[in-house]
Amino acid sequence: MGALEDLFVRLLLLFATPEAINPVLSDPRTVAVLLGALIAVCGGVLGVYLLLRGMALTSDAISHTVLLGIVVAFLVMTGLLGLPPDLSSPLLIVGAAAAGVLTVVLTELIERSGLVKQDAALGLVFPLLFAVAVILVSRYVDNVHIDTDSVLVGEIGMAWANTNSHCLEHCEAVTITPDDPRAVLTRQCVNCRALNISPRDPRAEFREVCANCGMYTPAQAYQAGLTSAAPTLVFWPKSLTVMGLLTLVTLGFVLLLYKELKLSTFDAALAAALGFRPGMLHYALMVLVSLVAVGAFDAVGSILVVAFFIIPPAAAYLLTDRLGVMLLLSPVIGAAGAYWGYDLARGSVFGLVEMSDVLAALNRALGTQLIERWDSSISASMALMMFVLFVAALVISPRYGLVSVSLRRAAMRQQFDDQVILAHLYRHEGAAEAADELAVATLHEHLRWPRGRMQRVLLRLRAWGWIQVEAGIAHLTPQGRQQVEAFREAHLLQT
Amino acid sequence: MPSQNGSSPTVALHVEDLTVAYQRKPVLWDVDLDVPAGVLMAVIGPNGAGKTTLIKAVLNLIPRAAGRALFFGQPYEQARSLVGYVPQRGSVDWDFPTSVLDVVMMGLYGRLGWFRRPGRREREAALHALEQVALADLAHRQISQLSGGQQQRVFLARALVQDAQIYFMDEPFAAVDAVTERAIVGILQALRAQGKTVIVVHHDLQTITDYFDWVTLLNVEVVASGPTAATFTPENLRRAYGGRVSFMEHGQAAIATGD
Repeated sequence: MGALEDLFVRLLLLFATPEAINPVLSDPRTVAVLLGALIAVCGGVLGVYLLLRGMALTSDAISHTVLLGIVVAFLVMTGLLGLPPDLSSPLLIVGAAAAGVLTVVLTELIERSGLVKQDAALGLVFPLLFAVAVILVSRYVDNVHIDTDSVLVGEIGMAWANTNSHCLEHCEAVTITPDDPRAVLTRQCVNCRALNISPRDPRAEFREVCANCGMYTPAQAYQAGLTSAAPTLVFWPKSLTVMGLLTLVTLGFVLLLYKELKLSTFDAALAAALGFRPGMLHYALMVLVSLVAVGAFDAVGSILVVAFFIIPPAAAYLLTDRLGVMLLLSPVIGAAGAYWGYDLARGSVFGLVEMSDVLAALNRALGTQLIERWDSSISASMALMMFVLFVAALVISPRYGLVSVSLRRAAMRQQFDDQVILAHLYRHEGAAEAADELAVATLHEHLRWPRGRMQRVLLRLRAWGWIQVEAGIAHLTPQGRQQVEAFREAHLLQT
Repeated sequence: MPSQNGSSPTVALHVEDLTVAYQRKPVLWDVDLDVPAGVLMAVIGPNGAGKTTLIKAVLNLIPRAAGRALFFGQPYEQARSLVGYVPQRGSVDWDFPTSVLDVVMMGLYGRLGWFRRPGRREREAALHALEQVALADLAHRQISQLSGGQQQRVFLARALVQDAQIYFMDEPFAAVDAVTERAIVGILQALRAQGKTVIVVHHDLQTITDYFDWVTLLNVEVVASGPTAATFTPENLRRAYGGRVSFMEHGQAAIATGD
């Protein structure tokens, strides 16, 4: 992890100086939005495949059952291997991944029995594994503090404060030993207290003690005046490392195996027949979902991480009918949700409206006593904003959106009305009863239409130049006749 | 209708002692089968006879309790490139966000192998296959906009680009209109004319003698297998379907309803 952090820092330094980087990395807003965006990229990309495989809720199950993996790995680490308890050990990550796969395998086993459907199977497995984890935690792991708040919503707002420092220049660590010229040596009486005598007593025995010996980090060395130049440090938030790595792994996985994942998601049988191992890909995907669920746990909690897996892919699905575009849109929607979500938590809606102004207005108008300062959960606000974006997609989606569907329906209704009238003129024109059937004033009675609707249709047809009205009688123009014939060709004369 | 290489008895598919069971209920029981190269063969039998299972089991898509299958003398792992597979149309999600051309190109993924992406050559091959099934105009359509018959032809085109020697098709005629059915039959017969072997799970007993020159009657066990003229007999049909087949004139058969 340390090496990876160094790499990230060096990459950053290609674009900016340490003086420019530190204020950015210690800005709560930037770090929270960046971390939210990284989770959104991982969740958004993996979620697309979950959604298309009809297993969106598996992310919910996995984000809880990884707890079992973490607990078991923790017990193995401290109990069996005798290692010190370390909550950032890679062993815990392995445990989490195994628990994620176990969730999916158990669900599939139960489902394959044919006695329980897929949704119920998931609902059986996930509380089971979670319950075992809770029992293990309460029975054996009483010294690890797990706080309900952080499980529910995470602490993305504090991510900026938990940093590792990386030294870039003047990185001289100093170790002072007693024989160093800089060592400050003092004499200390070793038997004064035991014998209850003063150091001046002749019986007193002395030893030399070094007051400033030990290891100094570069920053400590400079503060202690042991080095002349201040070290240049970059303070890197720890949580960005894990999510950064997971983002790289996720993107690498999807870019490298785009074709294989697409085929095995669309048609697993053909993928198997062609020799791509859809089962293996399936479990690799589940391992990644588990890792992202664990990686995002500190930041957004085990419940709201599900929002990052499900909402952006669902919105992207409405906006496109190409997998590649969906894989691009989904992380973008998630990241946008994270960005505006942070602002919402701090009281600003899309940067347009301030919640405090709204509350103040409410207080004035209704005489209520609402607290006007708006400060709420960041991860919950991010989830909320993603949902707002989903609703926007639902409304404006070009193919399935409410707006375009109702517009298309209205257009179809109009076209149909037009064709009905044109066809009526076509059939009766020139016939003996034409004067009666085609009189504009009474046309609506023949078709049993409301007069207003008929007037609108006639107005439209005249505007198109498809009919003419002479002496109160409607006639088809040559263009109108063409319209009728094209319609009959397309819809009536087909065999 | 004699097949082109009826005289040279190359065996395209050899199935030996194949048994498949779900839990302990046998679905296929000790199936032995030899299909000569260059025939257009129907697999028929009542519901639950194991027709789809037979295809999936020989293609290693489901575990076998016993037995083996050889394609031109080779096990499936070595014969992958010789085999084309058209699953049932309902086995995939047609709302999947992808285009017709993309689905057809999937047939070439096996030849590309891991990691390599399809390029211009693959696009052209896919377009050519779409022309053969008369769907070139719809290449860039989203697949959810296709009718049932068009979906079936897309699957067929996907198998055509594989340029396999032996094709397995699971109910390609299910719920397609008469025009599409004729088009599909035309393609199958063109494949046979090129010397390919085509094995089709089929339901409509009326059309067996018109479409197929080889037939296998299956009901968990193989009831009979051979040239249509000799095999598609009232006696064999009764053995495969039990008493549920009523016969009409000219030896044509239909499954009686009401079971």
